[in-house]
Amino acid sequence: MTGLRREASLALAIARKDALAELRGRSAAVSTLFFAAVVLLLFGFALGPDTQRLADAAPGLLWLALVFAGVLAVDRLHLLETDDGALEQLALYPITRRAIYAGKAIGGFVVMLVLGVVVLGAVGILFAVDVAAALLPLLVTVVLGAVGIAAVGTFYAGVTVRLRAREVMLPLLMLPVLAPLLLGAVKATSAALAGDPFGELGAWLQLLVAFDVIMVVAGAATYGYLLED
Amino acid sequence: MKTRILGIVALVAVAAMVLIALFVVPADLNQGDAQRIMYPHVASAWLAYLSFGVTALAGIGWLWKRDIRFDAVALAAAEIGVVFTAFAIWGGMMWGDPVWGVMWQWEDPRLTTTALLLALYVGYLLLRRLTDDPERRATRAAIVGIVAAVDIPIVHFSVEWWRGLHQTATIGSPDRVLNPAAPMVFVGTLIGMVGAFTLAWAYLIIRRYQLARLDVERDEAARIERLMSARTAEVAR
Amino acid sequence: MTDAGYVIAAYGVIIGGLALYAYSVMRRLAAKRNDRDEGR
Repeated sequence: MTGLRREASLALAIARKDALAELRGRSAAVSTLFFAAVVLLLFGFALGPDTQRLADAAPGLLWLALVFAGVLAVDRLHLLETDDGALEQLALYPITRRAIYAGKAIGGFVVMLVLGVVVLGAVGILFAVDVAAALLPLLVTVVLGAVGIAAVGTFYAGVTVRLRAREVMLPLLMLPVLAPLLLGAVKATSAALAGDPFGELGAWLQLLVAFDVIMVVAGAATYGYLLED
Repeated sequence: MKTRILGIVALVAVAAMVLIALFVVPADLNQGDAQRIMYPHVASAWLAYLSFGVTALAGIGWLWKRDIRFDAVALAAAEIGVVFTAFAIWGGMMWGDPVWGVMWQWEDPRLTTTALLLALYVGYLLLRRLTDDPERRATRAAIVGIVAAVDIPIVHFSVEWWRGLHQTATIGSPDRVLNPAAPMVFVGTLIGMVGAFTLAWAYLIIRRYQLARLDVERDEAARIERLMSARTAEVAR
Repeated sequence: MTDAGYVIAAYGVIIGGLALYAYSVMRRLAAKRNDRDEGR
């Protein structure tokens, strides 16, 4: 096996290990989902009951809910690690550090994807927006957003492992960096739901792609240094 | 002492430029006296971004060379960067209220990006404060600083896009003063103010770096002392 | 506030803040150097 293929299979192995752990602790994965639902409900209370106002705000509310739930989701993926210590042993080989990051990020991506799809549906129902009509561009946006949140979240979850006041520091570090992703995803969602009247959907999706690529590269390049502790 | 001379030169330069900006330079035709705020505002913003760049570069230096002096530079630049970022935002708000009618406008890429810069810096400094081990602190800070620096251009472009697609012409754009076609006296004053502030910045960086170095030395000495007392305890047994 | 008020508020905080920060750094530096020279 070439080095790259070995790395990839290692990454997938890590992702699978995390996924299995998630599935066994099924209630934990589901609780993140319910957290997102609760956030949506609170948005309804805070901004409702005017249906039009909620419908206008829906793209923003969707992505705020996903970003906040995302903080919790990546947090737990790294919590699994501190008990184990297996991560530190793997990290002895430089080639595997990138793979470790990739594996964790893939796991995070899968979680975010599932969350994204479910929350998208919930937003459609709760805030009266026609998700089905623009399903393809909306799903593309969700995928791109999930990549970005997973990439950034995995990185900062790694940074804050064993950090004091971790529960506050993880969102405090992660959320400002996600601001452009939030902006792009909301704008893309908004454009998609409106049928893209100004033709700006493509531009916003490009922004998301650029953000994702840059963050994945930056995360993969620097994550390894964390494991040298 | 070269640094002391730098400090005095900086002090004189800043004082002179402030006097010029307030009393010598004419007021803008459209924005009136409020336009004078642009000079320290732009200068502060420039130094905020410069500091951030230094922090990121110093972080790379630490990761590459493992010399703790790089980390001391990073800390100094980050702390001073927060200070100038706060000034830039304050100046932006003081300028915005008379000129825009509001202290804040989301679509102004500079203001929004600078606010995010503040959030990133504060997170960076808090992360440092919460990590006790000096080497782990330096490593964590370095990679956070690098990723944050990478994020900043993305933020800027995305907000510009945001504004562009809305096509609201902002009356009284800050660009007036930054436009090369602007009257020479404005441009000259701006350059002068930026230069004076940069001298002050350089002086502060050096002093704050020296302070950080003293802390590093003291930590090292304490560490050695602990090791020595552990050794003597073992020998005594 | 008249325009002058905004200008004073802006310059006051920025220049004043610079001075305050510079003073605080120099004071901390002098104190630490004292500690070091007195043998910690």
